Amino acid sequence: MNSGNDTQSSTRFAKRFRNELGLIVALVIVIGGTIGANLLMNGSADYLNEPVRNLEDILHQTALLGIFALGAAIVIIAGGIDLSSGSMIVFAGSICGLVMLILAPKGPDMLPDPTNVGLFAVCIAIGVTMVVGFMVGTVHTWLITIVRLPPFVATLASLVGLRSLAKILNQAVTAQLGNQVTTVRADDATFAYLSEWWVALVIFIVLGILCWFLMNGTVIGRHLYAMGGNEEAARLSGIRTDHLKWLAYCIGSVTAAIAGVLYTAKVGAANPSTLAVGYELNAIAAAVVGGCSLQGGVGLIPGVMLGVLFLRVVIDSVAKIVRAGSDDYQGMIVGFLVVLAVAFNELRRQGGGAKKSFFPGILGSITIPILAILVGTVIFVMTQKTQGVTVGIVSGVIIGLLLGGLKLTESARSQRT
Amino acid sequence: MADTPIISIKHATKRYPGVVALHDVSVDIRQGELHSICGENGAGKSTLMKILSGVITEYDGQIEIRGESVSFRGTREAEACGLSIIHQELNLVEELSAAANVFLGREHTSGLGLLNNRQMNAETSELLKQLECDVHPQAIAGSLRVGDQQLLEIAKALSLNSEILIMDEPTSALTESEVERLYRVIDHLREKGVTILYISHKMDEVFRLSDRITVLRDGKLVKTLEKDQTTPREVTHLMVGREIEEIDLGDSREIGDVVLEVNNLSLPWLGHARAWRLKEISFQLRRGEILGIAGLMGAGRTELLECLFGASDEPPAGKILLENQPVRFRNPNEAKRAGVAMVTEDRKRLGIFAQMCVRENISMCTLEETVTSGVISRKKEAELVNGSVERLSVKTSGPESSITSLSGGNQQKTIIGRWLLTKPKVLLLDDPTRGVDVGAKAELYRLMDQLCREGIAIILTSSELPELLTVSDRILVLAEGRMTAEFDRSEASEAAIMEAATESA
Repeated sequence: MNSGNDTQSSTRFAKRFRNELGLIVALVIVIGGTIGANLLMNGSADYLNEPVRNLEDILHQTALLGIFALGAAIVIIAGGIDLSSGSMIVFAGSICGLVMLILAPKGPDMLPDPTNVGLFAVCIAIGVTMVVGFMVGTVHTWLITIVRLPPFVATLASLVGLRSLAKILNQAVTAQLGNQVTTVRADDATFAYLSEWWVALVIFIVLGILCWFLMNGTVIGRHLYAMGGNEEAARLSGIRTDHLKWLAYCIGSVTAAIAGVLYTAKVGAANPSTLAVGYELNAIAAAVVGGCSLQGGVGLIPGVMLGVLFLRVVIDSVAKIVRAGSDDYQGMIVGFLVVLAVAFNELRRQGGGAKKSFFPGILGSITIPILAILVGTVIFVMTQKTQGVTVGIVSGVIIGLLLGGLKLTESARSQRT
Repeated sequence: MADTPIISIKHATKRYPGVVALHDVSVDIRQGELHSICGENGAGKSTLMKILSGVITEYDGQIEIRGESVSFRGTREAEACGLSIIHQELNLVEELSAAANVFLGREHTSGLGLLNNRQMNAETSELLKQLECDVHPQAIAGSLRVGDQQLLEIAKALSLNSEILIMDEPTSALTESEVERLYRVIDHLREKGVTILYISHKMDEVFRLSDRITVLRDGKLVKTLEKDQTTPREVTHLMVGREIEEIDLGDSREIGDVVLEVNNLSLPWLGHARAWRLKEISFQLRRGEILGIAGLMGAGRTELLECLFGASDEPPAGKILLENQPVRFRNPNEAKRAGVAMVTEDRKRLGIFAQMCVRENISMCTLEETVTSGVISRKKEAELVNGSVERLSVKTSGPESSITSLSGGNQQKTIIGRWLLTKPKVLLLDDPTRGVDVGAKAELYRLMDQLCREGIAIILTSSELPELLTVSDRILVLAEGRMTAEFDRSEASEAAIMEAATESA
């Protein structure tokens, strides 16, 4: 009897954390595969040679992305979407830098000296930045619940607007202080401590635990899931959906503001033209890879944390294999993983993925060569240094033939039934 | 009359998780007849029609049309086979014009692929004229009255040259004169040789129009009858079965003091010709009483309950007194705190949380009570939930099973259970037995009776008059947002209620 209960609860555990367990397996495979590929191609693997540096690097990147991915995930679970986080990051970084600059002692040239502002000023600057995060989240909520803009539109406006505002605000404030620039320096010695890899990691883990506690243990969390799943039913169950949205969007903006402070500390400056461009989509992608449904109401915090880790590990692995700057490949990998994760979930939901036809009709016929060209191109850019054009072309042709064969079997099968 | 039936349904069965909506039903429809399908809500009428018209594509059994086996993969294929359905909830694109709706998906084009609006308007105009409908073809569909919208759907079917027309409770939202017009349209269609499947539970219509009548109950075929060889009484009896007669709720309930008093409640309707969704409604509700609210679709039943629950889009005018205290709920949260509970009409859209399990669905309104030091205590939650499941005898494999695995009646019980945990003084039930099978209905009636005996006051709306007559102590009748009659249990009859409900403003 007892053991029966045990197996029941363990299968329930496996069912509930199916996505998380899958991600852990996938992580192991990706890391193992990268080491294997490196050993095969070069006879040595960076992960084995410098495990500590690699670990620190990956964890630092994971933590930075993870902090605001948690916020993005909570908004998504609550049934909304926050597109503003990339711009919020740079806006927050700029605010933080500007406040430090205003509080900084004047140097001999009568200009503020950003390298020595002191602990007190740093704390004030961070405090102000968090308040600004709260303000942005509040305005989002007002636009969404009172003005009734779709969340997509409200936060899209911030995505475009905040980055531009950061730019002109930087220029205006620095002009008032005597030396007009667009990029605000933030290289104070105390502030620089925040660029340590473990600071971000500790913040990420603490935030993760808090979010898990909020979403899994509290009434507010349960209500957030309910609202994301069925907002009208939630409202008619006496749940204050307007208050919940306020909380969710503030968590979204404040986590982005925290990430903004950390990114600014890491770079030593807040440059509205380059910092955190497109990061909002990385955060949303991490949430989706981690098991959140964009329809809302679904997703677990540990899944999101693993999703972020997985995303960063894959980006890093590709960089290791192709030995190029990971930034160039980042967008491609994120796009690929999101499609894969959502397609996987969708197939599982529909059931019977084996019977599904992927290339029916004329749309299928035209998609096959496009996919072949795409795969060929990707393989070409990854191998051109050593192999030239040949490998890319050959693999494109092979993929085209394989998919063509698949289509033939599919149409044969559908004719039979 | 041809020998091969135009439609032959053989052993049709449709299962949903937890319910069998249709169980081994076989019917033949003759060429050119008007065949009524009768049965209570949840009897399987709509499921059968959805299978016929290609809305439901996965089922067991076989459909033959003109002797040929078919399996439609969508409504388009059914239409190509000459079969159109007029749904109870109409399927128009409200933003488009009448003509655009009629030709949706088969638009006439002139050379260069441009839309030929002139031709479509002319043809629509012609079709509508045949249907005695004086709507302009360029009128926006959403701005039309329900009756005209329905004729628009019929016009669409006519333009498809459909030989078989399925009408799903077409009169449920019509005024009397619109019903008369519809009858004339139906006669006209039959002269043209159209076979009509007519779904209804209104006996007068069925007996006026049909050649034959098929009765369904609980998803099963009860009998197919020739109209001339039966009586309304027999059909009603077959529809209801014995179950409803068994319920003896007794009238020994004790009615207490006034809990809720409504004075001159009005709800404005911005931008609508009627200007009021509800106008000057006054009534009292006493402890231990079930107050039934009758009315046709669009009469304002749901709106009235929403006003009492603080869930209306616009705040209502007038006075609401709860235990002699004036209240003005701005949202359902305030109503819940004050002791008003509402079980909404559309269970799937407004009631259940489909991703959640039974436990989470039941505890949703009272989670605060389970909190110890900020965290939901799983133990307390389980106690609350198990108590409810037991009390309402919800049939489920356990509190952790998914809510969607439950049958409609059991889902409804979990939602009622959710609200009973808030210990309400006033319970608002908006058509709670819609889509619930007969057995579960009887249980819900007994539950209502029991709750009243415990001192709760209930306001019940229903689209089924027999149901209101069975359980209510008093019945209010709404027609187009106004209260047109109030009956005591002893005075109420279906005829009197219908008369009051169809009274126009």
